[in-house]
Amino acid sequence: MGRRVKVLIAKLGLDPHWRGALVVAYMLRNAGMDVIYIGNAMPDEIVKTIIDEDPDVVGISSLGGAHISLGREVIEEAKRKGVYEGRVFIMGGVIPPRDEKKLIELGYDAVFGPGATEKEILAVINQKLKEKGIL
Amino acid sequence: MFHEVKNRVEGNSKIASYAEDLAKELIEEGLSAVLSKKLRAEELRRINLYNEEALKEIDKRFSSWFGERLPEKDRGSFRKALYLLLGSKERIPRPLVCTPLDLRDLDYVRDIGFPGEPPFTRGVHPNMYRGKKFTMRPIVGFGKPEDTNRRIHFLLKQGATGINIVFDLPTIQEYDSDNPYARGQVGLCGAAVDTVEDMKALLKDVPLDKLSISLTTHYPSNTMILGSLFLVAAEEMGCKWEELRGTVQNDPVMELVVRTSPESLPPKAVFKIHVDNIEFLREKVPKFNYVTYNGYNLREAGTDEVLEMAVAFSTALEASLEMMRRGHSPDDFLDRMAFFWSVGDDFFLEVARMRAARRLWYKLTKYVLGASKERSWWCRFHVQTSGISLTREEPLNNIARATLHTLAAVLGGAQSIHASAYDEAYSVPTEAAHLVSLRIQQIIQEETGITDVVDPLAGSFYVEWLTNKIEREILKEMDSIWRMGGLLRAIEEGWLHKRIAEFAHREQKLLEQGVIKIVGVNIYRADKASIPPIDVFRYPEDAEEMQRRKLEAIKSLRSKERVENALAKIMEAAAKGQNLFPYVIDAARERATKGEIFSVFKKIFGVWKLRISI
Repeated sequence: MGRRVKVLIAKLGLDPHWRGALVVAYMLRNAGMDVIYIGNAMPDEIVKTIIDEDPDVVGISSLGGAHISLGREVIEEAKRKGVYEGRVFIMGGVIPPRDEKKLIELGYDAVFGPGATEKEILAVINQKLKEKGIL
Repeated sequence: MFHEVKNRVEGNSKIASYAEDLAKELIEEGLSAVLSKKLRAEELRRINLYNEEALKEIDKRFSSWFGERLPEKDRGSFRKALYLLLGSKERIPRPLVCTPLDLRDLDYVRDIGFPGEPPFTRGVHPNMYRGKKFTMRPIVGFGKPEDTNRRIHFLLKQGATGINIVFDLPTIQEYDSDNPYARGQVGLCGAAVDTVEDMKALLKDVPLDKLSISLTTHYPSNTMILGSLFLVAAEEMGCKWEELRGTVQNDPVMELVVRTSPESLPPKAVFKIHVDNIEFLREKVPKFNYVTYNGYNLREAGTDEVLEMAVAFSTALEASLEMMRRGHSPDDFLDRMAFFWSVGDDFFLEVARMRAARRLWYKLTKYVLGASKERSWWCRFHVQTSGISLTREEPLNNIARATLHTLAAVLGGAQSIHASAYDEAYSVPTEAAHLVSLRIQQIIQEETGITDVVDPLAGSFYVEWLTNKIEREILKEMDSIWRMGGLLRAIEEGWLHKRIAEFAHREQKLLEQGVIKIVGVNIYRADKASIPPIDVFRYPEDAEEMQRRKLEAIKSLRSKERVENALAKIMEAAAKGQNLFPYVIDAARERATKGEIFSVFKKIFGVWKLRISI
């Protein structure tokens, strides 16, 4: 049996819609993961927390439309600081379909919209953790 | 060190001490105990609508119907609600059929009455929609102020009768468009407004003296800042403050609970600014609703319909007590207090809830706060159809949802309505989707005759029973808030945050288990290929760049010294415990930016952070 998976969840930028992020946080905790929820944070704060906490999964919640602009900065900053590799990056929120592909291209491992279920989210996270050799 | 939050009492000290005693009584004895004590004399005068003999006969017939006619399988579940719905914690159990037996002690005059008369169950106006149609107030806001201005004129041309302006996240979180925190978010989700100039561009050619404008300012601090930008803009556009009609939100729960922000003011500071806004706007902008207690966003964040109203009313009571502590009589300010409800899926309950809200608010203002003018007793409200019910799957189904919610709001006697657009699970609405949402309201108003008769569901055994039931539930929830020492304390201790998080998580589970059914999502799912994709709105891409340039230009034109002086005066006023609004207006006049003013607030009060442990 492996160790517990550690997850960092953050609200991206100034977007105040925190319901979904908390629901996912509770969901992952109930699935046996360690979850840190840091509330609203800008990309540099998120990456700083990645450095401090060393999570396996980084979940970014965005319902405010900044998923591309600030979402890109999260990935770029993580790469600059050398903490991108060996982690799963997930984006969730209100994301127009045309942007889902773009986020994957930017370096996110998965994107979840409002219809995503607990089953899907857990399955995808576990699959990505395995693919990346983290679990 | 930060300044202590100070409030100066300048008015009537007798009212102040009454409020002081009342607050103690509410915390020590509980709200319902205080209310029933004050209502006792009135309760003794009750006259039952149904006579004992009639009830006895109904009772007898009911027993035989129940035992002989009703299928056996329905007897055990007689008092259960059949479905669990979105936005309700546990649906209030309800009988398979309602009869006068569920309303044994109904007193027509005291429980229902006439429209425009206490207890206002049937509406605040005697002629309701025959006298004044409900305001069709669509939400609008995106991009630069100029972009939003164009959409406002589009909606007015299509027959909107009010406007509800929403601001982008940097504006709501009080950062200027050129702040690093605002990067990538300027003009998304709402309009960008940094200075008086932006407010003027936003409102260009809008008839401010005729049209009622709702500024979705959300927070008290933002209400003072954006409210100041608005008032100075109106003044410079040649409009007198006394003529302005409209609304600001000014809700402390929005600032402390519903939002999370990298930087937030502490609860006591938020509450002081909240009451400063009420005090200032009531006096200087008399036709403006200085507050709209926003149950809507709280429920959308994750609460049930009962807590939504309990929190809004508790905040309203606490603010009223604070206004009284400052020496204002309740009749001097209550007439412009307004509410904002969500309307969800439990159709008849939603209608009943709006009726119950009016009756309960009447009792609270008259009997608890001691208001004596009729207008002080009115619970007037805006309604927005549920946003959480909108699905990304099969988006056109959302038109049906918004229509049912709008219908419930009309049957509930709302003053003003916004029907959500069908594409809101994707983005802010396209022009086409916006138009459909406006048309929903126009079709109800013009094509159905629904507004002909006031409060048409009154007298329905079911609706009256639900109205009584939900009123009691709201009061019970308010009791639990007062037992904690009032809403502000409940927030400081994280109680409300926890309630929301638990509710949202539980609801999500019920959705995924298919217990709460959503058509097209977890029941009756269509083949994806058979649903044509909808157009999704594209934001104007130049907002951030243009706002930066505008800020640069304004900063080079204004007098740096005068701006700094004006900002320093806000700090001085805070140290003396004065109302900060006039000083913020002076700063806005000098073209201080919204972010500069918020920075002063942070300097005065400090920043508060509530961590949520999971």
